[in-house]
Amino acid sequence: MTGTETPDPDAAQAAIEYCYAQGWSDGLPLVPASQPLIDKFLAATSRAPDEVIGELEQVGRDCTVYLAAVNAAMAGCLPEYFPVVLAAFDALMAERAARGGGWQSTSGPAPMIVVNGPVRHELGFNTAGGAFGPGFRPNATIPRAIGLIVRNAFGIRPHVLEQATQGLPGRWSICLAENEEESPWPPFAVDGGQPAGVSAVSATLLRTCEFVDNRHTPDPEQVLWDIADTISRTGSLIFRDTSAGVVFCPEHAQMLAGAGYGKAGVQAALMERCGRTGADLRRAGKNGLRGIARFADPDESGDGTFTRILPSPRHVPIVVAGARNAAISMVVRVFGEWSGTATPLEQLPAARERPAVGLTND
Amino acid sequence: MPTPPTRGTTPGPPNVILDPTGTTTTTKTARPKAPRARRPASLKGATVGLLVNTKQNAAPFLDEVGRLLIERYGATDLMARTKVNFAQPAPDELIKEMAAGCDVIITGVGDCGSCSASAVADGIAFEASNLPAAAICSDAFGVTADAMAELRGAPGYRYATTPHPVAVLTPDQVRERAAQVLDDVVALLTR
Repeated sequence: MTGTETPDPDAAQAAIEYCYAQGWSDGLPLVPASQPLIDKFLAATSRAPDEVIGELEQVGRDCTVYLAAVNAAMAGCLPEYFPVVLAAFDALMAERAARGGGWQSTSGPAPMIVVNGPVRHELGFNTAGGAFGPGFRPNATIPRAIGLIVRNAFGIRPHVLEQATQGLPGRWSICLAENEEESPWPPFAVDGGQPAGVSAVSATLLRTCEFVDNRHTPDPEQVLWDIADTISRTGSLIFRDTSAGVVFCPEHAQMLAGAGYGKAGVQAALMERCGRTGADLRRAGKNGLRGIARFADPDESGDGTFTRILPSPRHVPIVVAGARNAAISMVVRVFGEWSGTATPLEQLPAARERPAVGLTND
Repeated sequence: MPTPPTRGTTPGPPNVILDPTGTTTTTKTARPKAPRARRPASLKGATVGLLVNTKQNAAPFLDEVGRLLIERYGATDLMARTKVNFAQPAPDELIKEMAAGCDVIITGVGDCGSCSASAVADGIAFEASNLPAAAICSDAFGVTADAMAELRGAPGYRYATTPHPVAVLTPDQVRERAAQVLDDVVALLTR
């Protein structure tokens, strides 16, 4: 086997099994990380390997640029994805829930990463059909890298410090590259404070995603009512307020824009329409409020009152993703609330032309 | 593309597979053993601290434990405080305040992924301030509470448990549960 031109599958399998045996894997095979590979990741950023990029006070662990690189490599990222991983991690650490107990939570939330700008095409992100995956390396491996960082660098492992009751489909696999080309609205990163045209990453945590399939009406008001009904279901309500984003397909977005709706108009319409009557909430055991937490209050006096549940536009983030081939949009259930900030991507224009070794010294 | 780990094709020793956890490359694994506060012989005359973590039913649960400690074990005062951020360790000022004002403390009720671990972490922090602590957790979160104790240098740290769930209990059931856990709490707080 030695001296052959093709990779050695036996050595590869042994290395993969070694990684499993160390407890590093999320269940799927890992790419074994070596120093030459990590050197290429570190060359893709100007940030120092020992820079701490995230700290979880309650478990006494932190993550450095170096550890992020090792986990990103193991997740299957290419070195040139690394600035996106770092920006995604920075964006996540801006979320209160991610700095707090989110990773340990019984709700088992999933990061939703949104990528904007030229980097989508430079790195080959899927910006069209099948936005929630699978099938595309950057979209699949970047969120997986975040999951491995949480598992390995923060030490939050299932059944131990991670206490998800059921978790959710798609945890560590949601990375949307916005379909800016077919969106009638400014990119999501603009809502996060970045100029249009800049490569930037936004992120929040989700409790789940739920589709709204409405392809048989030409009336945008009906589409908005349909989305509002999905957002308003009682199952996801645990506090006084909630947050629910919409990942619009291009067809719905263009229909709404054609009727004069900007994002602000859509947000205002959903804030106005989403909610339930006191009677509905009482039947679901969620009509009472103790602080901000809902509980079952036998008092029927509020039955006739309509309670709105989306307090501000920031609680209704709007993204456009997917193909132009059907009118199917996705309600995304935000865990906590989105920080409202996008993280610009570090630009190292020469990084990909530079030689792969000897780059880490300055 | 990276070079696969073939042996004999590249000069020098084979590449090492890198550790993604950071625990073998830093000194963080070598934590000092957490201290344990000296226990009083009894709770007679004691001021009992109650650190409520805002989870559903935590406040009435700890209030009832406190009431019973006065009624049955001779404690004289209660000092109740609320921990606003249940997922995080208690702030230093709060630990100082409780350590100065109480003789023993009860934390809880650990009834979620982060707050169970956190209730135990707080207990261990109070011990370090020489304040005997009893954390109360739902029995569904034993593994995460134990893992946190280990992280804090107190493997095997003992805490009291009450059957899961706690959040759905009626006021009468909460009082019943408080009475059931009382002896364990006293055993944790006294020598």
